Amino acid sequence: MSLLARTSAGLLLWAFGFSLLYALQGTGCAYGWQEIELFRGTLLRWILVATWLLLVAAGLALLRLARSASSDFEKRVTLATVLAGAAAMLVSGSPVVLTSACG
Amino acid sequence: MNALRRHRALEAIWGSPTGWRGTAASVNHSDIGKRFVVAAFVFFAIGGVLAMMIRAQLATPGSAFVGPDIYNQLFTMHGSIMMFLFAIPMFEGLALYMLPKLLGSRDMAFPRLSAYGWWCYLFGGTILIASLAFGVAPDGGWFMYTPLSSKAYTPGINADVWLLGITFVEISAISAAIEITVSILKLRAPGMRLDRMPLFAWYMLVTALMMIVAFPPLILGSILLEVERAFDWPFFDPARGGSPLLWQHLFWLFGHPEVYIIFLPAAGVISTVLPVMARTRILGYGWIVAALLAIAFLSFGLWVHHMFTTGIPHMALGFFSAASALVAVPTAVQVFAWIGTLWNGRPELKLPMLYLLGFFLIFVIGGLTGVMLAMVPFDWQAHDTHFVVAHLHYVLIGGFIFPMLAGAYYWLPHFTGRAREDLLGRAAFWLIFAGFNVTFFMMHLTGLLGMRRRIHTYSDEMGWTLLNLVSSVGSFVMAFGFALFAIDVALHIYLSRRRRRNPWNAGTLEWAMPVPTPAYNIASLPLVADREPLAGAPSLAAALARGEGYLAQPRHGWRETMAVETTTGAIDHVVVVPGNTFLPIVTAAVTGCFFLCLLAGQYWLSLLPVAGVVALGWRWAWGLDWRKDIGPLPIGRGEVAPIHREAAGAPGWWGSTFLLVADGTLLASLLFGYAFLWVIAPNWPPPERIEGSLLLAIAAAVAAVAAATGTVLARRSLAASVKGSLPSAQRAALAAAAAQAVTLGALVTLSLTALPAPQAHAYAACSWALLIYSLLHAAIALLCVSFGRARIAGGHVSAARTLDLRVARLFSDYSAATLAIVLVCLLAPALAP
Repeated sequence: MSLLARTSAGLLLWAFGFSLLYALQGTGCAYGWQEIELFRGTLLRWILVATWLLLVAAGLALLRLARSASSDFEKRVTLATVLAGAAAMLVSGSPVVLTSACG
Repeated sequence: MNALRRHRALEAIWGSPTGWRGTAASVNHSDIGKRFVVAAFVFFAIGGVLAMMIRAQLATPGSAFVGPDIYNQLFTMHGSIMMFLFAIPMFEGLALYMLPKLLGSRDMAFPRLSAYGWWCYLFGGTILIASLAFGVAPDGGWFMYTPLSSKAYTPGINADVWLLGITFVEISAISAAIEITVSILKLRAPGMRLDRMPLFAWYMLVTALMMIVAFPPLILGSILLEVERAFDWPFFDPARGGSPLLWQHLFWLFGHPEVYIIFLPAAGVISTVLPVMARTRILGYGWIVAALLAIAFLSFGLWVHHMFTTGIPHMALGFFSAASALVAVPTAVQVFAWIGTLWNGRPELKLPMLYLLGFFLIFVIGGLTGVMLAMVPFDWQAHDTHFVVAHLHYVLIGGFIFPMLAGAYYWLPHFTGRAREDLLGRAAFWLIFAGFNVTFFMMHLTGLLGMRRRIHTYSDEMGWTLLNLVSSVGSFVMAFGFALFAIDVALHIYLSRRRRRNPWNAGTLEWAMPVPTPAYNIASLPLVADREPLAGAPSLAAALARGEGYLAQPRHGWRETMAVETTTGAIDHVVVVPGNTFLPIVTAAVTGCFFLCLLAGQYWLSLLPVAGVVALGWRWAWGLDWRKDIGPLPIGRGEVAPIHREAAGAPGWWGSTFLLVADGTLLASLLFGYAFLWVIAPNWPPPERIEGSLLLAIAAAVAAVAAATGTVLARRSLAASVKGSLPSAQRAALAAAAAQAVTLGALVTLSLTALPAPQAHAYAACSWALLIYSLLHAAIALLCVSFGRARIAGGHVSAARTLDLRVARLFSDYSAATLAIVLVCLLAPALAP
């Protein structure tokens, strides 16, 4: 099972991060976080951007998992899926800086 | 023992009796797999006839062929049959038949569960088809949107038939998913590491895991909607804090992964058949595994693209639009790996290859229109038009039916042991291919011209007449193609001459056994050192028949196969699977009675079949095991291995674990619904909340402490049994059962004294749903520990044989953990100012 866990880790983090961003966006809009001005932005925007960047960084940090893989196959697949997860986080989370949050 | 005597001895152990007894009692994976395939094709034919009626109706403007009421039933049943009664059962059947053969095993991990799933599928499907005959078939579209499917707008039983019938069939899907997952992880030939597994097994493993996570949201949605319809609990009624969008979320949380659940097994067929047709090995094995893992995860982040027109904020649209476009990348990686394999090899245009070429063209077009629909502005224009209908058929027929037809022609000699003649198959291909494109390419155009899906007629002035007529003609051409395919298969089965095994010179293990395969599959199990064992050792089949592999000596009438360590493929233990029994068919029939009672509105009476299922489940689990320790068994090649009852990672434990994963997903979906309504739905906060009181605090505390105590005691019972102190284990199990009974009592008190009436508001309905979930799981934990105690008393448990207690501990832990979550969710609002 360690192979499956290792090779799924990057994508699992993406699934968690994606759900977290969607939940934060929905909750923030419902409770008016976009109305709170903060550093030339809004509280909601800053929370979303910070979360997104942290998730991308965490995704890249998972590259370390590939180092401890027990076989070439495991190493290659782990590397590919961790990079896929981090890239997916970068792209699918990018609306936090590109679009209106609650409109 | 010579090969013939071994064959006779194994056949006596693994075979099924002839006649109706064999039909009803067989649990053999080949029998069950073939039944799934045949039944799925019959349902496909029924769904196809409905499709032809739809096209007959739309062929001309103002058609009076059927009225709107019948038309609604036609398209609803067409979609539901094709999705739930054809596509999923078809690949389940292929997987059940083929996986043990590809993995070098003699059966699936839980043969009785396979049989139970089969009977549930047959009975549930029959209920759905019967409703069509009686004129009460579902008519709200295959995705049953509320409020159309709510009581106010569908007062008859049409929607109930869908909700209950599909849930009944889903039992089969969840059973198959657990069965497939555990079988692939544990029941492989020795030496078959995960990275030596045939790609088809990788695809099926990922698909089965997706099913375990994707189906519970639909099952939950169906339960909630049925409860709303039956008891007026307003989960989806915005006037009382519910939301129709919750249904859409729950449905598409299942519905979009479902598309990939259907596509991935077909892609597994492609990755198996295509290299053989190209006379080479698959290119980029590791890349394909990585791509399919990426598809599996990304497919769970696309569901909202079915809801782009529901008024969701731009940012949320952006998330799902980006994810929808992203999933094309790993899909393309697979397509490029297949193209590279063709480029690398020396392809032959044999019949399976012809269907694969058809797949390439159609699926790529479907994929490209999918990327178009993933773009929000385009989707707003094309949503709910025939463009979407065309897209989904290009993806599903291109991505599922063409590869499955390729697989059918590839493996037909394996099913029958007969030689192939290509002529009719080629004619069928061209009819299906041409008919399909004529039918559905036109729908892109009618869609772009503004034709809505599901309209039963249109006027001539709309300008859609010619396109619709051509589309209808195409659909009939396609139907002739499928009829020709069926005739071709029938002629092959009854008239073709016998043929040697492995007509394609393939390298995978299914071709190492006699064809058609005997009930036991393989006379002895190989030691695998290559992804294509037959390529490296062409004489392997003869060596295995001579008994030169593992488990060559039949003993005690046991149905034996090998279990391995999940990653390395090292020998773990011997699994003895159960033999033929009537339990699956009887349990499925009693389960069906439960659903029929609900359909008839006999809710109190439905408790009777529930009790029946519990009793049968007890009998089911009791029938396994021995009352003495067996110790290590010789397995051939000078090696020994313990029996599964005396091993730590037995299939039963793994199956229970994956069942709880599905169960946990159901709870997570319920919590998502609760949070979604709280945050998004109108008419919140609720007028009446759970009020904090001393009684509430006491009941909640007693429930939590009793559940935790039950868990500790279940663990203590297991620990005592491992030490060999069985009286102490029995006492601990009895105390654990008592603790679970106290939990039940406290939860009943809590629900009767603290919760508002469930009809008042969605908040109250959700609270009741959460508490009932915990009640149910406390009852299951009670049953499990009681069963453990009875097993100890009956002499079935020893220091070595602790599987029953480990499973009981698993359910106790799960019950306590989920109770803690439920109590926090219920009590937090009560404590809020």
